[in-house]
Amino acid sequence: MTVGAAPVTVADAPRDRAGVGAVYRVEIAKIRAQLLPRAAAVICLLAPFAFAIFINTQSSVPADWLFGRWVQSSGFATPFVLLGFAGIAGFPLIASVVAGDIFASEDRQSTWKTVLTRSCSRGQIFVGKTLAAMTFSVVMVALLGLSSTIAGMLVVGRQPLVGLSGELLDQTRAITLIVASYGLALVPTLAFTCLAILFSVTTRNSMAGVIGAPVVALLMVGLSLMGSGVVVRSILLTSPFDAWHGLQISPVTSKAIWIGLLVSLAYGALSLIVAWRSFRRRDFAGDGQAPFRWSTFGRAVVATVVLVGILLVGTLLSETWITSTHLEASVSQTLGNLIVVQQQILGRELDPAAVKVYPYCKRESVISGVSSGPADDWTCQVFVDGPHVSRLAADYSIAVRPDGCYTADAPAALVGPLHMKTPDGGTTINPLSAFDSCMIAP
Amino acid sequence: MTVDLALGVRNLQKVFGDVRAIDGLDVDVAAGKVHGLVGPNGAGKTTLLRILFGLVAPDAGRLTLLGREIDDVGERSADGVGGFVEEPRFYPYLTARRNLELMADLDGGGEARIDEVLGTVRLEDRADRKVGGFSSGMRQRLGLAASLLRAPRLLLLDEPTVGLDPTGARDMLAIVETLASDGVTVIVSSHNMSELEGVCDGVTVMREGRAVWHGSMARLREESPAPAHRLETSDDVHATELAKNDGGLEVVADPGGWLTVSADRDVLDDYVVALGTAGIAIRRLELLMTALESMFFSLTGEPAEPAPASRKPDEISAGR
Repeated sequence: MTVGAAPVTVADAPRDRAGVGAVYRVEIAKIRAQLLPRAAAVICLLAPFAFAIFINTQSSVPADWLFGRWVQSSGFATPFVLLGFAGIAGFPLIASVVAGDIFASEDRQSTWKTVLTRSCSRGQIFVGKTLAAMTFSVVMVALLGLSSTIAGMLVVGRQPLVGLSGELLDQTRAITLIVASYGLALVPTLAFTCLAILFSVTTRNSMAGVIGAPVVALLMVGLSLMGSGVVVRSILLTSPFDAWHGLQISPVTSKAIWIGLLVSLAYGALSLIVAWRSFRRRDFAGDGQAPFRWSTFGRAVVATVVLVGILLVGTLLSETWITSTHLEASVSQTLGNLIVVQQQILGRELDPAAVKVYPYCKRESVISGVSSGPADDWTCQVFVDGPHVSRLAADYSIAVRPDGCYTADAPAALVGPLHMKTPDGGTTINPLSAFDSCMIAP
Repeated sequence: MTVDLALGVRNLQKVFGDVRAIDGLDVDVAAGKVHGLVGPNGAGKTTLLRILFGLVAPDAGRLTLLGREIDDVGERSADGVGGFVEEPRFYPYLTARRNLELMADLDGGGEARIDEVLGTVRLEDRADRKVGGFSSGMRQRLGLAASLLRAPRLLLLDEPTVGLDPTGARDMLAIVETLASDGVTVIVSSHNMSELEGVCDGVTVMREGRAVWHGSMARLREESPAPAHRLETSDDVHATELAKNDGGLEVVADPGGWLTVSADRDVLDDYVVALGTAGIAIRRLELLMTALESMFFSLTGEPAEPAPASRKPDEISAGR
């Protein structure tokens, strides 16, 4: 025994192999201990309440956003409005907070040598970290959905909501649709999680890892606003964030959901395969985060510009699927349901089949020829025939977005004022004065 | 399982870009011994340890750890092997204890030994403080604690005394000796030959990715040249002339204005007496390089870490 040394026990027994479960537990413990993931969780928890309170103190509503016109009328509109906002870059950013940092942080803190000299293989570490990042994404999406629903119900109330098909959604149906819609949003969110992992592994830089996926998301959103071509739109990872629209139109369509699922799977699998190949072959020959290199950054920018340029040309050259025929079919279906809803509010039962809606839609800027494409100069002349509404005629101004969703407004002189009286003396929004709906790409 | 050879390396090669970090290295380390890896910066010590830990995959060569040939180097750290490479690093936002708990989880067990290993490295009082506030030396000690959690049979330590104060360095080397007495094979890298002198049974001197000397510490001492001393006198010219009559003595004038005297202890004693007899005053006499440091210099072509300047007078002639 020498000076200063306490006795040390040396075990001869072979150690149990740690596995993916151990890595997963360790990563979850680290996530829970870090400031940024905690802050993200707090934001997902409190932001919906702040939004609901703020929007209900305003004199106007975000009427150009899906369900925006209903945020002061039904608490169930709040989760749908926030779902639309988050689909732009919110979910990719939430996914990147952990996924973009989970590999690069080991470089930043020089802890790879600490982790890799334990009993776990690189494969187990990769899978464990990936699962932990995905868990965080799932929890954040669920937290946002839950928090926004509770915030809407507490701040605004549990009034029925007019859905995208023009049908009235009671509490049970609204909550079911909220759960299903946020569930669908999880799929592309997990794909963005995989993309952020790819950035984290390959750049070895936390900043690049965290902002990489949201930047890609913003570029994709920008591309999707440039045109409405079906092919390019289908291969963008941001498009599956809109798949929930298909749950609310009538009849319900699952095509966009399946396409979104396949696209998300493709992005996720490809990202993880490339990330794993990079991680498995890597020599951990030094410490510290990868330094910023202008040459690498320049190559990445050039590659991105070329890729975006190709997709942009493809988008602009693609023939639009948004035509007057599609719009008329959607308006006819939606308005027919809305008339039934309006009559229900007025205490009159109406057979939906008895209501006939005849829309004629065109773009104001098109003098001759076929009207098509996303624009805010669409008008639909609508003639309605049926009990209680015989020979109703209205001109709706319609703004159609590249994703096929639109907002429609009619003059009060033709369909009545924005608010109307109910038989019990209350006031509610006149569902015919303005409505939102979506067309689904063929 | 009983193994005679804790580490066997054959024709190991690793190239990073244009740099040949390991160039046909052969090293054997017997089980239960403390073995030193010494060499200047860039000699390949740390790269070798990174390969042994599985952090870096070699380009060619065979590797045997604790009797098992490792054919999946780079996939996982081998069973029974613990230690650290360069300065140990941990999660700064977690306490020392929490870091060790996570490390134990990644090893599939070992939580029960956390208090014991914290006590071994004398960090029990700081166990519940966040590692972000730890000094380099405390991280070094925590690194050793994390290594001991694995109950290793082969411990690899890369420059374990870097960042430690003299007491900490002494404790660290004492722990190494204790582990060795318990049967653990320890491989310690350092660029300070004198530091390893007292603890190592054997040593490999590396230079440019190759082993330029490999053997027991006793044989290294036998083959080492005489220690070097710095001598300042009242008459350097006469002192140099006086040395020419003694075959075991080499005196060279240094451009810095002093004489470098290479000699064994007995020869140096006689020379000092002779200087006095000749009426030459000795103004300064200090150890420049021990015998092992001189050997290091001759093998690697690099200046060794200088001997401590504050050695006591009686240490001066005990250089070998």
